[in-house]
Amino acid sequence: MKTIKTCVTALISALLVFSPVAYADKWSDQFPHIKATGDIPGDCSYESMSKKNYKGKTLKINTHAVPVMGEPTALHAEQFAKLTGAKVDVTHTPAGDLYAKAMVPFQAGQAPYDIVFGFSNFINDWRRYLEPVPKKYVEMKQMKDVTPSHIGVASWDGVMYQFPVDGDRHYLKYRKDVIDNPEYQKQYKEATGKELKVPTTWKEYGEMAAYFNGWDWDGDGEKEYGSAEVMKKDDLMYAAFYSRSAAYSKNPKTPGGFFFDLETMKPLINNPGFVEALTDWVEATKYVPPGGINFGLGDEIGSFGGGQTLFSFSWDDAFVAAMQPDSPINNKVGAAQLPGAMKVWNRKTNSWDEGFNQAPFFVWGWAVGVAKKSKEKEMAFDYLCFFANEANHQADIGIGRFGVNPFRNDDFKVDVWTQIGWDKDIAQSYVDTLAQMEQSKNRVFPLRVPGTFEFNAALATAAAKALAGQLSPQAALDEAAKQWEDILNRVGKDNVRKAYAVGVAMEDNKQ
Amino acid sequence: MSKLYTFLKYFFITFWTVFVVAPFLWAVSTSFKDFQSVNSKVTYIPWLDFEPTLEGWRVLIKSPAKGGVDIVEPYFNSIFVTCTASLISIVLGTLAAYALSRFTFKAGFVRNNDITFFFISQRIMPPIVLSIPFFIFLSTIGLLDSLLGLVVVYIVLLMPIAVWIMVDFFNRVPKELDETALIDGCNPYQAFYKVVLPNSIPGLIVAGMFCIIFGWIDFFFAFILTFTEVQLLPVKVVALNSSITPWWSLSASALVSVAPLIIVAFIVERYLSKGNLSGALK
Amino acid sequence: MNFKHKFVFLFPGLFVLIGILIFPIIFTIRLSLSGWNSYTPEMNFIGITNYIRLFTDDPRFWESFFRLSFLSVTTVILQYVIGFALAMMVWREIKFKRFFRVIFLVPMMTTPVIMTVIWRTFFHESLGPVNDLLGGLGVKPILWLSDPVIAKFTVIIVEVWQWTPFMFLLLLAGLLSLPKEPFLAAAIDGASPFRKFVYVTFPLMAPISIGAIIIRLIEASKIMDTVFVLTSGGPGTATETSSFYIYIKGLREFQMGYAATLSFTYLVIMIISLTIIAKVLTKLMIKE
Repeated sequence: MKTIKTCVTALISALLVFSPVAYADKWSDQFPHIKATGDIPGDCSYESMSKKNYKGKTLKINTHAVPVMGEPTALHAEQFAKLTGAKVDVTHTPAGDLYAKAMVPFQAGQAPYDIVFGFSNFINDWRRYLEPVPKKYVEMKQMKDVTPSHIGVASWDGVMYQFPVDGDRHYLKYRKDVIDNPEYQKQYKEATGKELKVPTTWKEYGEMAAYFNGWDWDGDGEKEYGSAEVMKKDDLMYAAFYSRSAAYSKNPKTPGGFFFDLETMKPLINNPGFVEALTDWVEATKYVPPGGINFGLGDEIGSFGGGQTLFSFSWDDAFVAAMQPDSPINNKVGAAQLPGAMKVWNRKTNSWDEGFNQAPFFVWGWAVGVAKKSKEKEMAFDYLCFFANEANHQADIGIGRFGVNPFRNDDFKVDVWTQIGWDKDIAQSYVDTLAQMEQSKNRVFPLRVPGTFEFNAALATAAAKALAGQLSPQAALDEAAKQWEDILNRVGKDNVRKAYAVGVAMEDNKQ
Repeated sequence: MSKLYTFLKYFFITFWTVFVVAPFLWAVSTSFKDFQSVNSKVTYIPWLDFEPTLEGWRVLIKSPAKGGVDIVEPYFNSIFVTCTASLISIVLGTLAAYALSRFTFKAGFVRNNDITFFFISQRIMPPIVLSIPFFIFLSTIGLLDSLLGLVVVYIVLLMPIAVWIMVDFFNRVPKELDETALIDGCNPYQAFYKVVLPNSIPGLIVAGMFCIIFGWIDFFFAFILTFTEVQLLPVKVVALNSSITPWWSLSASALVSVAPLIIVAFIVERYLSKGNLSGALK
Repeated sequence: MNFKHKFVFLFPGLFVLIGILIFPIIFTIRLSLSGWNSYTPEMNFIGITNYIRLFTDDPRFWESFFRLSFLSVTTVILQYVIGFALAMMVWREIKFKRFFRVIFLVPMMTTPVIMTVIWRTFFHESLGPVNDLLGGLGVKPILWLSDPVIAKFTVIIVEVWQWTPFMFLLLLAGLLSLPKEPFLAAAIDGASPFRKFVYVTFPLMAPISIGAIIIRLIEASKIMDTVFVLTSGGPGTATETSSFYIYIKGLREFQMGYAATLSFTYLVIMIISLTIIAKVLTKLMIKE
C-alpha cells in the first residue's frame, strides 16, 4: 500500500515537473508526434478536429507503401480516428501501381477508396473522378501559406483537385566534404586546370563526377563513384531526363511550350537541346556506380545516402535521408539548384543561344484527392486538412523517411531545419535552393495532358535504349518523337493542346 | 566408372544445394541489417561485419502508423484462400481428370485431348488480361474485396493444373483395375473412390502441392481485386516496397512467407516415399 | 464403359471453369476492338484498328515475343535437364535422401515478386555478394543486371532457380510410380546403367515429361514478376517479354483496348505453337 502511495506521489510530482517543459499542451501529451511544437491553432488543428464526431463512419484510403508517404498517412489516420471516433482503413500500394489501383475501379464506376494518393501529374486523368477541393478549405489559413507553384500543380484551370500535402522538385545534392575540401580543390585544379566548386552546368557536373569516379575519396576502404541517378527504365526515369534537359531546352525567349510547340503541337523532344542532354546522360553511364544504369529511385537514395557517390539529383528524399542523424554523411551534404548550361536551344531561330541558362524542373510529387463517388467527402477533406495542419506538417517534414517535403512559405526558414540537427550553412543552402526555385521565372512543369503515361513511357523507352547503347541519342529521340506523333493522333491533337496550354500558361508566368 | 559417377553425383548435388540455399542465407543475413550495412558496402556475417538489428523483423508485426506492415491477418487470409481454393480445385479437377482419362468424349471435332488442352489453356492468358474482366465480374456479383471472391478466381487459376496433372497420373493406373471393380459389383463412383483414387495418391499429392503453391504465390489478382477489407500476404509484403527500399524487412518477409510451405514440402516428401512402397499394383 | 456417368465426372469442373471464364474471354475480345484508354474509358467500336496497329506498327511487341521465346525455351530446357538429373539422383538410395528432396523443392515455394527482390540485392553490381566474392577471386565486377546480354542470363538463372523444383517434383513423382518389372528384366539382361536409362527409364517417363514441359512452357511464358523486379525490362528493352509489355500497355499506360488486342493475339499464337510443340515432342519422345 505504501509503495503504491509513493508511486502515485512520484508520478504526480513528475507530471508537475515535466509538464511545463514540454509544451503545456494536452495534445502533444496524447500525440507525441507533435511534441516539438504542440498543437498549432487552425481550422484543422488537433483541437478543432477533436470537436468533430465521425463515430460509426469509415474512411478508406489508398496510399503509398510504408514508409514514404505511407507511414504519415497511417499515422495521421490513427490520430484522426482517435480524435473523431471514425474508423480509418488504410491500404498501401507501391508507387508504380498507385495509378492503376485507383484507375481500375474509377473506370468501372466505383469508388472503393474515399481518398486516393498518387502523383500530381495524374491530375488530368484523375480529375473527372475527383471532387474539387471545397471553397472552405481553399480559403483556409493553412492553404494561404502554400507557394503559388504548388497551388498551380494541385489545380487544373483554376480548380483545385488535389489537396496540397507535399512539395516536390528536383535539385542537386553533392558531397560538401569533397567539393569544399581544399586538398581536393588543389588536386582537381592540378589535374584538370579547373576549379572544384558546386557545379553550375551539366558539363562541369560531368567532369567532376568523372574525376571522382572509381577511387576511394572518403577513406573508408571502399571505392566511391561520381553520380547516382535514376536510369532504370521505370516510372520515374524520364523525370531525370527532363531535369537534365531543362537547361538546354527551356529558353525564356521562346515561350509556348517545352514538350510541344503549343501552336503546331509538334513534339520538341528531338530538337538539339534534348539531344545534347541525352548525349550528356549517355556519357554519365561512365561515372555511375557499377550497375548504376539499373538504378531506380530507391537505389539512388541508397547509393547517395550510403555515401557511395559524389552527386545525385532528384527528389528531396535522398537529401533528407542523408541528413538523418544516423547517416554516415550527416551534415556532409549540400544542396543546390540543378545545374544549367552555357547554351540553350532557340527553336524560333533554329540555333543555339549562347549564355548561361538555368531552368528548375518542378517534376511532380505526392498528390491526393477525394473520389467524387465517395460517400464521406466531408470527412475525407477533414482528414486531408488534418494531415497537412501546421503541427503535423512541421513534424513530418523533418522525418526523412516520411517523404513530406516543403511546400509552404514557412518551410523555407533556416531554423525549421537547424532545430532537427542540421548545420546552419547546410540548412541555409537547402532553404535558399528551394526558395530560388520558387522565384525562378524560367520554370518547367511536368507534362499533364491526356495520355501523359504514354508520352512519358515512350520517352523513357527511347532514352533507355540510348543509355544501353542500342541507339544513338539522336536516333532514340527521333523514335520517341515519332511515337509522340502517333500518340497525338490517337488522343487527338486538340485534346492534348487544350490540356497542355494549362501547364504552358504556368511556365510562361501568365497565372 | 561407378566411383566417378558417385563423385559427380555428390558434386552436382552439393553444388545445387549451395545454389538453392545461397539466396536464403543472404536473405537471413540481410534481414538483420539496417540502411548502413546494406548501402555502404557488402557485409555478410552479423556482429563480425555489421551490428545486427531486429528492426527488419519487427516491421512485420508493427502497425503501419509506426512504419510497419502487420502481416498477421493477411497471413491467415492467405492460408484460408489458398487452402479453400486448392481443395475445391482438386475435387473438381480430379473428377474431370478421371472422366478425361477413362471415357471417350466426342462433340464435333472435339476429343478428350482437346478438352484437356482447353483446361490447361486457361493458364496461357497473361494475368493482366483477366484482371479487368474479373474485376467487373466480381463487382457484378458483389464479391470484390472479399475472401470468397478471391477463392472463385483462384479456382480458375488452380483447377487447370489439377486436371492436367491428374489426367497424367490416372492414365498410369491400369484400366483393368476399375474394370475388375465394376465386375465385382461396384458402381462407377465406388470404383473411382475405392479403387482408382487410392492408387493415385502420389498424383493427388503433387497436384495438391502445386495448387497450394500457385495459390500462395499469386500476387497479381490479389492485388487488383482487393481494396481494404481483405489483404493477402504477398500484397501486404509488396506494400513495403517504398521508394526507400527496406531490403531488411523484405528479406524477413520472404523468409516468413516461405515457412508454411516448407512444412508442405516435408509432407509431400513423406507421401511420395510412401506412395512408392504401396504404389499402384506392382 | 461409355455411358452417361462420364458427364457426372467431367461437367462440374468444366462448367465451373467455363462459367467463370466465359465472360472474361468475350470481354477481352470485345475490348480488343475498342479504343478504351485512360482518356476515353468507353467500349466504343473501332473495328480492327488495334490489330492493324499491332501488325504494322509495333515492332516492340514482336521483339518482346521473340525474346520471350528464347527465354522460355532456354529456361524450360535447363529446368528439364537439371530437374531430371536431380530426380534421378535422389530417386534411389542416397545419403540424406529426404533432406535433399525437401531442399530441392523449396525454391518454387517462394513468392516471385518478393524473392526477386532478394535476387536483386544478390546480383547488385556494387553492393551484392556475388560480385564481391568474385572480386575476392580477382574477377572484375560483372554487370549482372545492366549489360543487355548478361541481364538475359541473370533472368534465366533466377527462373531456373525458382522453377527447376517444379520439373524435379513432377519427374520424381513419375519415377517413384514407375512399374518395377521392366527394370528387373533389364537387370537380368545385364544392361548398363546408361542403356537402362535410354531404353527403360526415359521411354517410361516420356508422357509425364511432355506434360511437364508443356505446362512449364505455359508458365514460363508468363514470366513477368522476375523481369519487372530485376530489370524493369531494361537495360533499354533488352529483357522485355510479352507479358511484361502487355502489362505496361495495360496497367501502366492504361491502353486497355490495345492491351486486350495484344493479349488475344498472344493467346492465339501460344495455343497454336503449344499444340505444335506438343505434337513434335510426342513424335520425338514416344516411339510407337
